[in-house]
Amino acid sequence: LRQISRRTISTASRRQFENRVPEKQKLFQEDNGIPVHLKGGLMDALLYKVTMGLSVFGTAYVVYELLVASMPKKQK
Amino acid sequence: MAHQAHSYHMVDPSPWPIFGAASALLTTSGLAMWFHYNSTQLLIMGLTSMLLVMLQWWRDIVRESTFQGHHTLTVQKGLRYGMILFITSEAFFFLGFFWAFFHSSLVPTPELGGQWPPMGVKPLNPLEVPLLNTAILLASGVTVTWAHHSITEGNRKQAIHALTLTILLGFYFTALQATEYYEAPFSIADSVYGSTFFVATGFHGLHVIIGSSFLSTCLLRLIKFHFTSNHHFGFEAAAWYWHFVDVIWLFLYMTIYWWGS
Repeated sequence: LRQISRRTISTASRRQFENRVPEKQKLFQEDNGIPVHLKGGLMDALLYKVTMGLSVFGTAYVVYELLVASMPKKQK
Repeated sequence: MAHQAHSYHMVDPSPWPIFGAASALLTTSGLAMWFHYNSTQLLIMGLTSMLLVMLQWWRDIVRESTFQGHHTLTVQKGLRYGMILFITSEAFFFLGFFWAFFHSSLVPTPELGGQWPPMGVKPLNPLEVPLLNTAILLASGVTVTWAHHSITEGNRKQAIHALTLTILLGFYFTALQATEYYEAPFSIADSVYGSTFFVATGFHGLHVIIGSSFLSTCLLRLIKFHFTSNHHFGFEAAAWYWHFVDVIWLFLYMTIYWWGS
């Protein structure tokens, strides 16, 4: 795809917010082979690991709890 | 670097679909653990992982569109179809609860005293807070349309003001509904009246909160210059969803609050 340069809504307002979209476009279009979910930097990798940890551990925990719940409790 | 010879978006491999599925497993199992064994650990894990997946998946979509330029007109068309289909499925979801309401209220059983509202149930006055809530949501429909026009006309300041006002109206609705819930003389346990009232209005309230979150995300993106005057589908999707929430309320108001009182 040709890079489409975007015209933003208005010229940059000096008051508060500068338009940082071009910087982001440069960062995420860098030809480094990194997939989009990790391309933003270190924070991406950290968040990914936390999410993966929670999901993997959680799934294992569910399987454990299901096994426990399906075993009859031995009376006496 | 090879370039594609088509206008579709072939996404990078992503972990979010499978993690999303895992979080759904954790959340549903967590509900079962909560209901039957009074344990909230799994449920909390499920809801947390669901939140994490949603944030990262949608963050990636913003990156793919605004920063990488993958959302061609073809891709946008697909997204439009997708959002319309999703909203339609939500309409059917609410249809079920309206069916339940009419099933019970058109032929009230002897247990209810053969009348609707049932014997002993004092319904809310539809001309008080519910009417105000109707006005609030209708006004928010106007302000979100105003915001849209401001975006297409390139008027940044007005767009931000109009969208902010829309979100504030949404919060006002939610706050008023919360006080209504607290002050209501009947509860969810009060016969099928309570069930239909609180389940239907409760799911609606949840959708107001979801819609407000979607609009808030759009406000953030609007402030950060993500939208252009002819490409702002995220905002349009949020506006469609908000109008849908408004329409559902109008049906709720006319049927449950007004006819049902």
